[in-house]
Amino acid sequence: MENTFSVGLKHNIAPHQEFLLQGSILDSHKEVLLHRLRGLCDNAEKAPEPFYDHEMVFMLRGATAQQNPVLFRVRRSVEPRDDTSWHIRYLGTSEVGDKSRHTLVRACFDVACSNNVVQFLNEMGFKLDHEYCVKGYFFHKGRMKVTVSKIFRMAPSGGSDINTQEAMSHSHLVELSVVAPAGQEQIADDMKNFAEQLKPLIQLEKVDQKRLSVQ
Amino acid sequence: MAVPSVTVSVEPVIENKIQEVKLDGQEIYVAPLSMSENLTKLAHKIDFYKDESDEKGKPTSEGEKEEEDEKVLASFQPSLWPWDSVRNKLKAAFTEMCVLTDVLNIIKEKRYMVADPVSNEAPENKSSVLLLAKKRGLVVAANVLISGAERLKRSHSEHSNRAQNDYFIELLKLRQNWRLKKVGTSILGDLTYKSAGSRFLQSGTFEVTKVIEEKTDGDGSHSRGSLEVVIPSELEGVAYIQVDVKSVPGNILMPAGLGVIRSDAYWQQKLEVAQNVLFCKELFAQLAREAVQIKSSTPHMVVGNQIITNAFPGIQLSIVLCHYTGKEKKTPQAPQKLEHNHVLEHSLHQLLREVHYKNINYVPPHPVNAMLGMSKRRRLAGPLGTSRRELVEMNVRETLLEQIIKQTKHAVLRLRTMHVLDKLAILSDPQITAHWSCLNSSLECSVRINITTAGYEIVRSNSLVLIIEVDNIQAILLKDSKTITLSFEDKALQDLILWQVSQHHIQVVTHLAKCHSWTVISTNLNVGIGDIDVYGTATSIMMSSPRGDKVLSLKSGAYNKIQMFLKEVTSSELNNLSTAVVDPKWQKIMGTFKQIDVDRLQGKTFAQKVDMLMAKLSTMS
Repeated sequence: MENTFSVGLKHNIAPHQEFLLQGSILDSHKEVLLHRLRGLCDNAEKAPEPFYDHEMVFMLRGATAQQNPVLFRVRRSVEPRDDTSWHIRYLGTSEVGDKSRHTLVRACFDVACSNNVVQFLNEMGFKLDHEYCVKGYFFHKGRMKVTVSKIFRMAPSGGSDINTQEAMSHSHLVELSVVAPAGQEQIADDMKNFAEQLKPLIQLEKVDQKRLSVQ
Repeated sequence: MAVPSVTVSVEPVIENKIQEVKLDGQEIYVAPLSMSENLTKLAHKIDFYKDESDEKGKPTSEGEKEEEDEKVLASFQPSLWPWDSVRNKLKAAFTEMCVLTDVLNIIKEKRYMVADPVSNEAPENKSSVLLLAKKRGLVVAANVLISGAERLKRSHSEHSNRAQNDYFIELLKLRQNWRLKKVGTSILGDLTYKSAGSRFLQSGTFEVTKVIEEKTDGDGSHSRGSLEVVIPSELEGVAYIQVDVKSVPGNILMPAGLGVIRSDAYWQQKLEVAQNVLFCKELFAQLAREAVQIKSSTPHMVVGNQIITNAFPGIQLSIVLCHYTGKEKKTPQAPQKLEHNHVLEHSLHQLLREVHYKNINYVPPHPVNAMLGMSKRRRLAGPLGTSRRELVEMNVRETLLEQIIKQTKHAVLRLRTMHVLDKLAILSDPQITAHWSCLNSSLECSVRINITTAGYEIVRSNSLVLIIEVDNIQAILLKDSKTITLSFEDKALQDLILWQVSQHHIQVVTHLAKCHSWTVISTNLNVGIGDIDVYGTATSIMMSSPRGDKVLSLKSGAYNKIQMFLKEVTSSELNNLSTAVVDPKWQKIMGTFKQIDVDRLQGKTFAQKVDMLMAKLSTMS
């Protein structure tokens, strides 16, 4: 299996790496975490920025059954309403087992697209695998992004009205991520230091995605 | 011993009779009689019907044969035999009591026997225990009191020790305003603007120290805390940026200095001044870097702590970083009055703060997966398919120096316009009024100019709007919505206004003609005959009186004086009429134009003069 980087480079897509740390916090303690993050991150004088996104995951199966399917994550902003720029993201597989790396590292290709991408992907052969809504708050410190969000199941009718959705769990997902060009390793140390400051409140760690998926 | 030994039981002699031996060897004893049963048994033995002398006692109870022997021995009291033990015991007790009485009597006599108190030790023992107990109790109580007293003493000493108290309160206040960090045993603070977005590399670390001084130090002019801050040496003193706009390149003024901050000033003042020094240094470093790097039409000069550049030809902008540390030798020259352009200095500070702000504040990406740090337009570049040229344009950012030069240019233009208008406003005829718009920015403002004559304000179609931009002035003539672009020379504006003034005169006259019912024969906005005007074109008007016998002709230009000509038919000419003229209307074309001296006409303003003239000419003849 060719390295996603080399494939990307061949086709002139900028090879970026995503460094990710994840953790979760119960709903009842979310306020404390928001307060803490507001103090640690940039722009402390502004209120935390809320966001509400709708993400659809499209899957394209390979010719043979053994090949792993290609997953495209299409995300759009529901509130504030932005129908002109949707976002496609492709995430490669992460290399686990490297104990010296504190964060999860995987290849990441980000593309901004227009709002007819769903039709396009359907015609290309992608099938909608699953979709969900994410609602939460967004912080940033330098180029580190921190999001505290709650995942909602879509209502069967397909509407993205927040009142008709049910939450998937009673906790919030906290993600600390940096997207940087390939080859910069000291970001992982910066992220780890930042995660240390949130330590007793929330444990941010790298989660092995393969162990989570049910196959 | 491993072998269990035979148990040997030691038992007392059985006192109880064996009643029965069971088949398995178990013995059942007769239960011993209780006291009452015993008494009953003995009482049964007493034969109350028998008197004492009757010795031949029949055995009253069974099994009492052995007591018959005893009966013989104690024959004088046979009835007491069952009570014998009782009697003996009583007798013994009586004996004892007698002995005791005798002993007590003897002791009382104190001749042969003395009773010594033997209970001395017991009370002694008791008191020591009591003493110990009391001592322990007292010790506990004393401890409680001592600890209480200690606490009171400590708090009292704290109150009296103000320096100690103050230090922590001052430290708390310091912490509320500045970022502090404890490194080892010392407390360090940060003066820089790094947390606000600055990328300047100079460090601004200050140290916080405790000051222990006597309370008798009476320096009551300002509050002296017990906390001192040590500022790094390169940030000592006072600094400011001086911006000066000069019209003639003159000598480089050396700043005489603003003054020095006292070494015993309050820490807040010291820190603020040091931070200002750092800010000014960063600002000047940025400007100097840009002045050297960017290529523009006019070269910039950087000399020491001064940047000199030309805003307009003949207008010089100089930015000086004045840093007065207090260690320089006092210059003998008298301190000069420094020209500060406070508005531009403030603008410089604001511009740098904006740069800091942009460094920190990113537009939050929606959806949050998108890249951080791009503006919204840049994010839409993909979906909307913007061209390369547009992308390049999006990325172009103006430098600080360019921005401040633009602001300077606009300020200069604005000032010049004001001067021109003020100069022209001295003219009383006509009145020039300027209304400056209150909505303006540092790069653009607008003013509306009205030209009216006092008393005849109804004629006000001559207005113009000036929009003062960075490099030029846009003039909009509202009469016909023509737009003229003026350069930065103030003469151009003056010419334009004077030209409009000249046109206004003719307009007033046109209006007056309507009022006096004079007929306007012709008007010409650009007269091609006569002297060429210095600027613009001359306007002329020719009108005739209601009767038609008088014709008035005016010509006005921007810089030339107004010329007035009057044509009327004199009586002498009337008489010389030829007989070929049959219709009196042909008299009207006779006559020559004579010039009228406008200055000698009556009236304060030109409009008044013309008004008066027309009235007179109408009524005459």
